[in-house]
Amino acid sequence: MRIVVLVKQVADPLLPVSDLAISPGGTKVLGPANVPPVVNGYDEQALEAALRIRDTGRGECEIIALSAGSGFAIDVLQRSLTEADDLVLIEDDSLDTPDSSLISRALAAAIGRLGAVDLVLCGRQASDWDHGQVPLSLAELLGWPCATLARQVTVDDDIVTVERVLSDRYQVMRCELPAVVTVTSELGELRYPTMQARLQARTRRPRRLSLSDLHPVGNHDGGSVLMGLSLQQETRDCTLIDGKDGAEAGRRLASVLIESGFVAGSQGAT
Amino acid sequence: MGRILVLGETHAGDLDPGFWEQVSAAVHLGEQTGWAFEVLVVGSSTEDAVTAATRSGADRVRSVDHPRLESPWPEAVAEVMAAACDRRTYAALVMPRSLLGAEVAARLAARLGAGMAMDVMTLRLDGEGLVVTRPVFGGAATATIRLTASPWILVPRTGSFPSTGPTTDPTVEPSPFATRLDDASFGTTIVSQEYQETEGQDLARARVVVAGGRGMGGPEPFRLLREIATRLDGTVAASRPPCDAGWVEPRLQVGLTGTTVAADLYVAVGISGASQHMTGCSSSRVIVAVNNDPNAPIFRMASHGVVGDWQDVLPALLDGLSAGLPSGPAGTGRRT
Ligand SMILES: Cc1cc2nc3c(=O)[nH]c(=O)nc-3n(C[C@H](O)[C@H](O)[C@H](O)COP(=O)(O)OP(=O)(O)OC[C@H]3O[C@@H](n4cnc5c(N)ncnc54)[C@H](O)[C@@H]3O)c2cc1C
Ligand SMILES: Nc1ncnc2c1ncn2[C@@H]1O[C@H](COP(=O)(O)O)[C@@H](O)[C@H]1O
Repeated sequence: MRIVVLVKQVADPLLPVSDLAISPGGTKVLGPANVPPVVNGYDEQALEAALRIRDTGRGECEIIALSAGSGFAIDVLQRSLTEADDLVLIEDDSLDTPDSSLISRALAAAIGRLGAVDLVLCGRQASDWDHGQVPLSLAELLGWPCATLARQVTVDDDIVTVERVLSDRYQVMRCELPAVVTVTSELGELRYPTMQARLQARTRRPRRLSLSDLHPVGNHDGGSVLMGLSLQQETRDCTLIDGKDGAEAGRRLASVLIESGFVAGSQGAT
Repeated sequence: MGRILVLGETHAGDLDPGFWEQVSAAVHLGEQTGWAFEVLVVGSSTEDAVTAATRSGADRVRSVDHPRLESPWPEAVAEVMAAACDRRTYAALVMPRSLLGAEVAARLAARLGAGMAMDVMTLRLDGEGLVVTRPVFGGAATATIRLTASPWILVPRTGSFPSTGPTTDPTVEPSPFATRLDDASFGTTIVSQEYQETEGQDLARARVVVAGGRGMGGPEPFRLLREIATRLDGTVAASRPPCDAGWVEPRLQVGLTGTTVAADLYVAVGISGASQHMTGCSSSRVIVAVNNDPNAPIFRMASHGVVGDWQDVLPALLDGLSAGLPSGPAGTGRRT
C-alpha cells in the first residue's frame, strides 16, 4: 500500500508573542531568524500514524511525505526522511498563503501525479492559520472520503478504521480506501530516530515537483483574501504572592482567594 | 435581499450551547445588511431544540430529525446543509464552533467554492465583501480577512458575540426540512462510539476552573486539583499534554483545540502559558498561576502568581481554603 503524509513547515508555535514579527508585506507571522521553523506538530503525528500502519501491516508499505510551500528549510523537512521512503516538495511563492484552496489544489495535483495512493494522512490543523481546511478541501477535490481527528488509524484490506476523539466521546468511523484521514494529538508519543538514521536521511535528496508542471485544476481562489496581520500583545500585571517557602505562599494564596470571595461563606466558617 | 442560514446543532436533543452566540453573530450581520436569518436544526429527537430555536428571532425555522444523525456525523450534516443551499441562495452561513460545526464549515467551503472564516471575532461589511478578524498562530496574532465568494461561511469564536439566550416569544411555526438521509450512502460510516467519563461541571460555563498541566507529572496529582476545585465550588481542567498522555479525559482540555472558558477564576498549575492554551482561558476575570519557573510566560498573563513547586504550594492552599481563615497578611506585595 502507498501512504502520502502531508507535512507543512511552520514557524515554531511555542515562540512567545514577544519573539514574533509580522513580515513587511503584512502577510506572514515570522519567528526570529535564528530559530528554525518546524514541521507542524500534528503532521509529525500523522507520520507516526503511517509508521504504525507499516509496522502492523501485511505486505509492502511505501510512505511518501509531501509538502507545499515556499522558503523551505530542507534540513527540517528532511527529518521525515529518517522514516519515510520519499519526500516530495512543491515549492512556489504562491503557496505561502492562507488560501487553503490554492494549497489543496496543488496537493491534489501532486497526489494525482504520484499515482496509486491509498491513504493520505494529515494533521488536524496547521499551527499557522489554525483552521483545519486543507484536508477536507483536498478530499473534496480528489472525491475521496475524509475522516478527521483520529487518535488511532488502522487499515484492513481496503478499509481504513479510525478512532476519532470528539469533545465528549470516542467515535469509530470507517471509510473505503482511498481516503483522507486527519490525526489529532491524542495519537500519543512519537518515536525518536537514532542519530545515525538522521544523518543518513540528510544524504537523501527530496524530489521536487514544479507547480507549473502540475497544472492544478479547479476554482482560482478560495473566496478569501488576507488583508493584514497584527500581533496580539495582551499581558496583565501579575501580583506575585510569596512567602518564606511554597507552603506559606500557598496559605497566602488561599487568603487572597477567600478575601476575593471565591470560597462561599468561608469568612469565619469552621 | 440576502439571507443568512444558521445551523442549529443538537446534542441528545438539546441545541449546542454556542447556538445563541451564532444567533447573535447573525443578528449583528443582519443589522449591517438588512438581511433576515433562518435556522436549520439538525439531529435526532430535535423537538425541544426546535421549540427553543423558534424563540431566536429567526423568520423561518426548519428541522431535520433523523435517527442517522444521533451521533455527530460531519459528512451527513454537510450534505443536509448543501441541500439547503441548493434549494435557496444564502449570502452567509453561520456555523457552530464545535468540532462538528468547524468541519461542516470546511466541507461546505470546499464544496461550494465559498470563503470561510474560522473563529470570527468581528465582522464588517465593505464594498467588496465581508471583512472579518480572526485569531491565527494560536492566538498570538490576529488576521484581517475579506471573504469574497459567497455564501460567506462563518464560525463565530466562542465569546466574541455574547448572547443572553432566547430573546423573543416564538416568532415562527417550525417546519420539517426534507432530506434523502433515509437511503443516502456516504463515504464515511459510523461504526460505534464510547462516551468519555464525565466529571465535574460543564467547563464552558464553570465560574471557577482549576487546571493542571504537564508540570503535574502524572494522573495522581490531579486528585489534589479536584479537591481544590471542589473547595472553590469549581471544576477541574487541563492543558493539552495531560490529555494526550491519558492522565485525564480529552474533554477536560482547555485551549484552541479544546474548550474555551471564561471563568471568574482560572487557576493554572504547572502550565507554561503557551498561546494555544491561553487563547482558551484569557478572558477569565482572575487568572492565578502556580509554576516553579519564574520565567514561565504564564506569569505575563496571570493576575496573581506563585513561583513555587505545586507539591509545596497546593497542600497548603487546600488547607487554607478548608480552614477558611485568613492566615496573616495576604502577600499582595510585588508587582512584576
Ligand atoms: C495547533 C495547536 C493547538 C494546540 N491546542 C492546545 C490546546 O487546546 N490546549 C493546550 O493546552 N495546548 C494546546 N497546544 C499545545 C501548546 O502549544 C503547549 O504545548 C501546551 O499548552 C503546553 O502545556 P503545558 O503548559 O501543560 O506544558 P509545558 O509547556 O511543558 O509546561 C509545563 C510547566 O510546568 C511547570 N512545572 C514543572 N514542574 C512543576 C512543579 N513541580 N510545580 C510547578 N510547576 C511546574 C514548568 O515550569 C512549565 O512551565 C496546541 C498546540 C498547537 C500547535
Ligand atoms: N502547504 C501544505 N503542505 C503540506 N501539507 C499541508 C499544507 N497545508 C496543510 N497541510 C496539511 O493539512 C493539515 C491541516 O492544515 P490546515 O488546513 O492549513 O489547518 C496540516 O496539518 C497538513 O497535514
